[in-house]
Amino acid sequence: MDAISRIKQIGMPRRNNELWTFFPVAKIPMPEFPETCNDTADYSDEEDFAALLPIAFNARTMRQDIADGANEMAMLKCNNDFGHTVLDIGKNATASLEILDNKVAHKICAERFDIHVGENATVHIFFANPADGVPLRFRHFRIVQEAGSKVYFSEIERGSGIKRTSLDAFLKGNGARLEIRSLNVLQDSDSVHHRITIRHEAPETESVQFARNLLNGKSNASYNGSVVVGANCSKVFSSQLVNTILLSEDSSVSVKPVLKIYHDDVECTHGNTCGELDAEQLFYLTSRGIPVEKARELLTQAFAKELFMPMPDSPAKERLEQVVSKL
Amino acid sequence: MLSIKDLKASIEDGTQILKGINLEVKAGEVHAIMGPNGSGKSTLSKVIAGHPAYHVDGGSVTLDGKDLLQMEINERANSGLFISTQYPTEIPGVNNVEFLKMALNSKRAFLGLPEIGEAEFKKLIDEKMELLEMDERYRDRGVNEGYSGGEKKRNEILQMAILDPKVSLLDETDSGLDIDALRIVAGGINHIMGPDKAVILVTHYQRLLDYIKPDFVHVLRHGKIILSGGPELALELEEKGYDWIEEK
Ligand SMILES: Nc1ncnc2c1ncn2[C@@H]1O[C@H](COP(=O)(O)OP(=O)(O)O)[C@@H](O)[C@H]1O
Ligand SMILES: [Mg+2]
Repeated sequence: MDAISRIKQIGMPRRNNELWTFFPVAKIPMPEFPETCNDTADYSDEEDFAALLPIAFNARTMRQDIADGANEMAMLKCNNDFGHTVLDIGKNATASLEILDNKVAHKICAERFDIHVGENATVHIFFANPADGVPLRFRHFRIVQEAGSKVYFSEIERGSGIKRTSLDAFLKGNGARLEIRSLNVLQDSDSVHHRITIRHEAPETESVQFARNLLNGKSNASYNGSVVVGANCSKVFSSQLVNTILLSEDSSVSVKPVLKIYHDDVECTHGNTCGELDAEQLFYLTSRGIPVEKARELLTQAFAKELFMPMPDSPAKERLEQVVSKL
Repeated sequence: MLSIKDLKASIEDGTQILKGINLEVKAGEVHAIMGPNGSGKSTLSKVIAGHPAYHVDGGSVTLDGKDLLQMEINERANSGLFISTQYPTEIPGVNNVEFLKMALNSKRAFLGLPEIGEAEFKKLIDEKMELLEMDERYRDRGVNEGYSGGEKKRNEILQMAILDPKVSLLDETDSGLDIDALRIVAGGINHIMGPDKAVILVTHYQRLLDYIKPDFVHVLRHGKIILSGGPELALELEEKGYDWIEEK
C-alpha cells in the first residue's frame, strides 16, 4: 500500500488518535495529493500521518551511505516543502549529522529521515537552528539500531510556528543505546510537540529520554513518549524525564509517558516536573547584588545547559552548548 | 551604620515572626545574636535582605542612613549588605567563579566602576581562596552544588571576602564546620572585618565567639530582643541556657 492510500485509510490526525493527543490537529491543512505516489514501497504498517506525508507528496529522496569504519560529518538540509533522507551508517562508523532548516518551505514542511545504524556505530543527529518561520513543521525519524550502536539524538527548538518531531526507534541489536535530548525554548504562541516511541527489541538495550522546556508567553509544549520492551529483552534500561519551567502564566505543558513492558528484568523510570524558576535560587543570586533579570537569565541558562552536560565531547555537544550560551 | 527600629515582619499566613526588633550597629562593632530555635534569628537576616517570603509590617532598617526596606534585593547588597543564610542555596549549572565575578561586577556597576579586569579578578580570587584555604575544586563546580555543609559555609565567606560588604549578617556560619575549618573561617571573617565595617553573628555556640570577639551579645526570643549585654553574656547563656531570662 503506498503512502497516499495509507493516509486515506488512517484519515487525518485527530486528538483521539494516541499519536496526536496534544497536537492542535485543526491547524493541519487538508492535503491535496499528487495523482500518483512515486514511492511504491509498502507503507501499510505506518501509523503516523507525519511519516507518510513527505512520501505521499513525492519528496525527493536523498540517500547517503557511510562506509564501515568511516568517520564523517555531514549537514542535512531539504530544499523543498517535503524531504526524505535515507541514511545507512556502516559498522563501527562514527557520524555527526546536523539537520539544517528548510529555508524555502511555505505553509507546511514535512521531512522524513530513515536511519539505519550498523553494529557498534556511533551517530550524533542534531539540530539547533531556530526554525525559519514555517507555520507548520513535521520532522519524522525512523531509526533502526544494530547491536552495540549508539545514537545521540539532540535538538534545540526555538522560533515561531507549530512543530512536531516524531521518532520511532527500533533497538534491534544487543546493547544498542539511544539518548534523546530535547530542549524547547518557546515564547509567544510557539507550539512544539514530541511523539517518541522506542522499541527495545533486544536484551541489554538502553534508552534515555530527557526533555527540558522553558516556556514563556502563550507557548505550549507536549511530550508523548512511549517505551516498549519486548518479551525476550532482559536487562533493558530506559528512562524518561521531562522538566519544565513555566516563565509565564499563560504557557503550558502536557506530558504523557507510556510504558509497555513484557519482561521482568528491566529498569524503566519516568518522571515529570513542572514549576517556576526556583525562588530561593533567585533570592540567592540577587542577594549577592546580581540584578533580577540577569539572575533569571543565569538560571534559565543553567537549566538548559544541564541537559547537554552529560553528552560525550563531540561536535554536536559543542554546537548545542554554543547555542545554549546565546539563549 | 546599620540601624534597625521596631522591625515587625510576618509570613504569608499572617503569623508575625518579628515583633519589634531594635538594634544599633556601629562601624567597627561585632554583635552576636543568640536565642532558642524558632525565635526568629534567621527570619531577621532574611527580612533585612528582602526575602520574598516575608512581609514587613512596620519599622525601619537603614544602612548609613539609607532605607534598605525600600530597595530591591540586589540594591541592598550593592549598598554594602551581605547576608549569609543558615542553609546556602545550591545552584547547579551556574559556575561558582563566574557567579562571583558577576556579583562583583554588579556591585561595581552599581557604584559606577568599570568591570574588573581578568588579571585583577584572578589575583583577588586566588588571594581570598588562599586566605580561606579553599582547594581548586571550588572553581569548577556549580554554586554550592554538592558541597558539604561546611564547604557551603566556607564558600559564603569567600563571597563575603570578594564583595567586601560594610555590614555582614552571618547566620550560623559555624554550624557544620570542624575545628580546623572553624578556625580558618573565623580567621577569614576577622581578616575582612575592619574599623569601617560591622559583623553580626548568629550563633548557638561560644566556640565561634572565642575566635571572633563580640562587643555586644543579644538574646532574641519570640521575635524580640529580650536582653543585651557584653561578651560575658554569651558565656552565661552557654552555662545556663535561655529559660532564666524570662523569669527575670
Ligand atoms: N518562610 C516561612 N514559612 C513558615 N514559617 C516560617 C518561615 N520562616 C520562619 N518561619 C517560622 O518562624 C519562626 C522563626 O523561625 P527562624 O527565624 O528560622 O528561627 P531561628 O532562626 O531563630 O531558629 C519559626 O517558628 C519558623 O517555623
Ligand atoms: Mg535559624
